[in-house]
Amino acid sequence: MNKKYFYLLLLPCFLFLLIFMVIPILVTTLSSFYLDGRITLEGYRSFLTDHYFLNILFRTLRISLLTTTICIILGFPVAYYVSKLNVKLKFIFIAAAVFPLLISPVVRSFSWMAILGREGIFNTLLKKIGIINEPIQFLYTELAIVIGLVHLFLPLMIIALIGVMENIDYDLVKAAQSLGASRFTSFIKIVFPLSVPGLVVGSVLVFVGSLTAYTTPQLLGGSRRVMSTLLYQQSLTLNNWYTASIIATIMIVATFIIIGIMNKIAQKLNPKG
Amino acid sequence: MKKYLLFIIVISFLFIAAACGSNSSSSDEPTQLVISTWGYNEDLERKNIIEPFEEEHNVEIILDTGNNSDRLNRVRLDSSQIDIIYLSDYFAMQAIEEGLFETIDRSNVPNIEDMYEILQAPLGEEYGPAYTVGMFGLAYDTAAAETPVTSWGDLWRDEFSNRLAMPEITTTSGPMVVDFAAKQAGADPFDADLAFEKLQELSPNVLRFYGGSADLVNMFSQGEIIIGPTMDFAFDGIVDAVPTAELIIPDEGAYAYMNTINIVKGTENKELAEKFINWALSEELQTQNAIDGLNSPGNTLVELTEEQAEGLLYDSDVIESLIVLDWELVNNELEAWTDRWNREIVE
Repeated sequence: MNKKYFYLLLLPCFLFLLIFMVIPILVTTLSSFYLDGRITLEGYRSFLTDHYFLNILFRTLRISLLTTTICIILGFPVAYYVSKLNVKLKFIFIAAAVFPLLISPVVRSFSWMAILGREGIFNTLLKKIGIINEPIQFLYTELAIVIGLVHLFLPLMIIALIGVMENIDYDLVKAAQSLGASRFTSFIKIVFPLSVPGLVVGSVLVFVGSLTAYTTPQLLGGSRRVMSTLLYQQSLTLNNWYTASIIATIMIVATFIIIGIMNKIAQKLNPKG
Repeated sequence: MKKYLLFIIVISFLFIAAACGSNSSSSDEPTQLVISTWGYNEDLERKNIIEPFEEEHNVEIILDTGNNSDRLNRVRLDSSQIDIIYLSDYFAMQAIEEGLFETIDRSNVPNIEDMYEILQAPLGEEYGPAYTVGMFGLAYDTAAAETPVTSWGDLWRDEFSNRLAMPEITTTSGPMVVDFAAKQAGADPFDADLAFEKLQELSPNVLRFYGGSADLVNMFSQGEIIIGPTMDFAFDGIVDAVPTAELIIPDEGAYAYMNTINIVKGTENKELAEKFINWALSEELQTQNAIDGLNSPGNTLVELTEEQAEGLLYDSDVIESLIVLDWELVNNELEAWTDRWNREIVE
């Protein structure tokens, strides 16, 4: 192959992304700086000094961070276990982890409604056992959103971690142990730092997914708005595209900031990674 | 090598051309008609309204479904080639003010003459008629309430805390909520400040503000709520799930809404659209829809037995007692109300 023209392989995908992603994002972002025929930051000033909007922004960030943390805590041990299995078992476990991804988020949210509702499985169970007399309100709370999102994104975290953990050379662990390191020390000093790249990829996927998720907060969060449902209301219900562009831009910027922070943390944990 | 290169470039351009190009159609293919409606009872709507029309006129009807505000916005965006739109009177009026509707030639829609007078031209002679009048009342589960509910004010009872759902301000019934709240606050004439103060009292008791009646029915059937203001058309679904539920006309009165059918500006099928509206008003279809409980008949020729009329607005005394909101006032205030609602009530 002539190296000179090799880059042309990128052309179809490049054009696709340019037309359907880069240009629309630029237009959206730029329009948020333009009001009444002049360039201004006024929209951002009023958004970021408004308690109503800030509440929603912080709620969204809180939910996304909580979801990411829970996914790490639940996903890390699973990924570690699965990565050490033989090929056949590993395939079964990975398939089991991926399986929920095949079901639409709408269906999954509805199933959580059946589980978390007033007369849902969970409340009925608690009542039967006698722990509670009156049903607890799970549905239409932030907790319900977090539960739904963890269920939605945990597979991504597990898969990202398995991919990296599989490639860890366990001779390193044996070497450390032969030099006197305990199992715990060798895990903390070797396995964990070497898994950090997977942790970063997984966390970014989960965080960005949670930040932008629409169906789950809409169905499980009731009237508790997050950025994506606010964006929907402003654009499609209220026809307020200016505020909608500001919300979209803030979501993009927040995503980049969080990815930046995660990369910084990753560098601290695994300086050579 | 050059061949491959050429191949890649050609493929990329073909791809773009395909994305931008339009599809051509031959003459005996059915005409496409895009109809925007709530989709609340889509299976019945397809059977009663759409399929007979498709067969008679060699049309393929595509449904665009959603609540009033979302669908109106899709028309504003001008992106979905909608020909005909079902909207409540309130949203249809917004659309007319924005110049989104085509005028209608009434001589092509002779069935208008058979409709109740209030339905014939709710938005003026040039625009589409209403095909039904409905009622916004109060639904509750009689088995779960301590004493019978008789007034809008009963929504404020402590016993309904967290067992109550209210419509969002952006729905047709949102402004009706503001109106009855003002009356509960003792405001006469109407006073928005007092209304919002009164609603703020209620807000902690509200489990969820809903954007569409399907959500309300869902919450009733899941046992999440036992009371909520509702449009009469949604009550069928509620009573199916909760047999002890009742739809009442509160002492202060229930509210009227009229559902209109209009033709969207820019349609290429105006004549066909007028035929469709005529069909939607026809005695035949209105009778069938009433028997199936799809909507209350607006055609005066429709005759129903007592049994068939159950759950429908068929009694002209009741229809005349309904409160009709001043939509012009609402339209002027809507933006301010939505903002206050989001800040003071929902969050």
